[in-house]
Amino acid sequence: MGIPTVFITALPTIAQMVGANRVVRGVAITYPTGDPSLSAGDELALRVRILDRAVDMLATDVAPRTVWEIDG
Amino acid sequence: MTVIHYVNQFFAGLGGEEAADHEPVRFDGPQGPGRALVAAGLPIDLTVACGDDRFALHEADCLATLLTWIEDAGADVVVCGPSFGSGRYGYACGVLARELGRRGTAVVAAMTPDSPGVLASEGAAYIVPTTAHVAGMRDAVPLVASLASRLASGEPVGSPEEEGYLPRGLRVNIRSDELGAERAIGLVLAKLAGDVRTEIAPPTDRVAPPDPLPDPSTALVALVTEAGCVPQGNPDRLPTRHANVWLRYPIGDRAELAPEDYVSVHAGFDTTEANRDPDRLVPLDAARALVAAGRLGQIYDEFFTTTGVDTPVAVSTRMGQEIGVELRNAGVDAVILTGT
Amino acid sequence: MSHTRADLEIAAFAIDEVVEGTLTGRDGATLLVASPQLAVGAGEPALAEATVEVVRPGDRVRITNVLDAVVPDVRADDPTATFPGVLGGSWSGAPRPRIHRLDGVTVLPVCDWRAAGLVGPEEFPPSYVDMAGPGQDRSPWGSTANIVLRCVPARGASIADADAAIRRAALKIARTLAATTLDAVTDDVRRVGTLADADPGLPAVCAILQVASEGPLTDTFFDGADLRDLMPKVIDPAWLTAGRLTNGAYDWPGVRNTTANYQDLALVRALERAHGDTLRFAGLILAPGYLDTAEAKRRGAEASAALANELGAAGAICTTFSSGNSHTDTMLTVRALESRGIATTALVCETNGGLTDHVVEADCLVSTGNEDELVPAWTPDRIVGGGDGEAGRAIAMVHYLGSCVETGDGPWTAVPA
Repeated sequence: MGIPTVFITALPTIAQMVGANRVVRGVAITYPTGDPSLSAGDELALRVRILDRAVDMLATDVAPRTVWEIDG
Repeated sequence: MTVIHYVNQFFAGLGGEEAADHEPVRFDGPQGPGRALVAAGLPIDLTVACGDDRFALHEADCLATLLTWIEDAGADVVVCGPSFGSGRYGYACGVLARELGRRGTAVVAAMTPDSPGVLASEGAAYIVPTTAHVAGMRDAVPLVASLASRLASGEPVGSPEEEGYLPRGLRVNIRSDELGAERAIGLVLAKLAGDVRTEIAPPTDRVAPPDPLPDPSTALVALVTEAGCVPQGNPDRLPTRHANVWLRYPIGDRAELAPEDYVSVHAGFDTTEANRDPDRLVPLDAARALVAAGRLGQIYDEFFTTTGVDTPVAVSTRMGQEIGVELRNAGVDAVILTGT
Repeated sequence: MSHTRADLEIAAFAIDEVVEGTLTGRDGATLLVASPQLAVGAGEPALAEATVEVVRPGDRVRITNVLDAVVPDVRADDPTATFPGVLGGSWSGAPRPRIHRLDGVTVLPVCDWRAAGLVGPEEFPPSYVDMAGPGQDRSPWGSTANIVLRCVPARGASIADADAAIRRAALKIARTLAATTLDAVTDDVRRVGTLADADPGLPAVCAILQVASEGPLTDTFFDGADLRDLMPKVIDPAWLTAGRLTNGAYDWPGVRNTTANYQDLALVRALERAHGDTLRFAGLILAPGYLDTAEAKRRGAEASAALANELGAAGAICTTFSSGNSHTDTMLTVRALESRGIATTALVCETNGGLTDHVVEADCLVSTGNEDELVPAWTPDRIVGGGDGEAGRAIAMVHYLGSCVETGDGPWTAVPA
């Protein structure tokens, strides 16, 4: 049995195509878990929110090749 | 006809794992299983060999050497393997086959159907399916010899079903009677009438989703990335593209990945913003926050990194399998993987 | 949503033969070309050299460093309005626009950017047209008489200036050649743009044309201005015929579009022909590929789908521009259309490794070929355009101009071996 893996990427359809089963849509190609337009505090809060979502997904029984947005 | 045989260090008689780093070498005539091929009616003029690890870590150099030798010898056909269940040997066979295919040379290989070499070959080789273990040699040799002889002498080779080799998955170009635009109109009108047809079938290789974490608050989670995040100075020289290696770096007590300590060497995106805060690629600070909040148990004390630029699926598959073994052995429960 | 379309006439003049001489003109189906004169007309300070050479089907020639293909066109009612923007004129307002077009002749601008030191090694993949040999039929322009405009950028010229000069020079030559028909008549005249009323019971089908504009040497132009900020919009198909959309993207010749594709887009021709017969042609949407972020790609896809909905489309055909993450834009557009109940077909090119991207909703795809397939080696007698042209080596399909173009202009497709 495999290790549950969540993939945070701004290109979730490519991830789905190669068979990734748990995908969270990242912010951008150049910063999947960041956002330079935010203040440092807000950016960290966003990053925590992204990871929290990712952890939710790790704990969820998903259909194959499922993509979640950061805010579900 | 001129037949060349590619084998790894073990089948060339150079040694086992300790010789996996052996540089490319060539021998006149057959070596190891090559003798069985000769006995089955396929004369072998030259054997070329390379250590499996050497090929994996220095692919371009090894390929250049091997291809030069093969070209100089004027090969009519090249036999690669049998590599059976070996991932690295199979991968090397597949890549060599792919490159020979690009040069118009016929190739026969033999490996398990799920070997990374099958994907790596991109349809260039006629691959005889084998068992995972070398006990399958006796079954594989006659078909390998027969296919290779016929390819070398230009005799026809039948379909996968008739002959017993793996479907090559090749897509060949033909000129249709209709332009693509006309076929598109035909397809959309058919779809509107309830008849859904396609010229390209959807991709089929899949892994089922692993079971979810029963309790994230006790889970050991590892951070893995293809964003090319490495310590400043890239001390182990992770390639910026075509990487076929992954690296691991200790996280220790770090609360975050600081810009003075880490950098991305990924050639496929503008790393300016990421280099101002590497947590934008490998989210250690947020992961620490989740542990502090009791949401996650622990972060594994190394992160794993590679650069995913021009990386063939077969290489990614191999690297994923290798990292997976490390994580399994370390008792890691789940992975957060970031990509660009 | 009502949408007016211009009423444009296009008169085609067949050319069977191109003869080089001292004058540029036309004698029936023979085009006379004064090559040195045509090239001198280039007169661009950003170009050190511009020479013209005629190459014909059957010549054992490989043309290399091919940037684009242009069909000779002239606005017969107002020649200054030919290729609006790029050649200085503008499209606006003429009541009966009329284009004269030469069939059987193509202008091919050629430039070795690397030799000029303006791009690095391996930055631009090879771009070929073979006039004979196994690769001849891989490019449609292996079968037309080609006026090859070979350009060398001036030392110190910027890439953008050199490129603009090359595009102007090529389009000017195209206009000059078509202008040899200004006093002539032909039976081969058709109307584009305006459509007759059609049975409302026929399904309405729209087309979404994907283009890309990412900077010098990878741009697409509308009236001579780049489309780097393009968001999906409905356009008049007649604008394509009128030369308002021109190409300035020179990478991956087999899978991205050329100016000639826009001038005579097979998809629009076929939809106009089918209008009133098997469908109603609901309209044409111009859309960007290679949007930068997941959010932008999704917004673009939604915007295209919303326009298709406004056009009243029951079905949609999506084209793709080149390879890489533009395929993600195509797939997201398919998804957005299908989520609105619009039956969608998309055109994509394949690789030896399969599809670049895919969504579950993309269950109806046209294959424009396998770009990785090797075309057997050939040794031409001559290379036109510089470099060694990889003579004697097998060449991947993607290096032949227009071979697998994902607008559906070509006949190539891939099937199981």
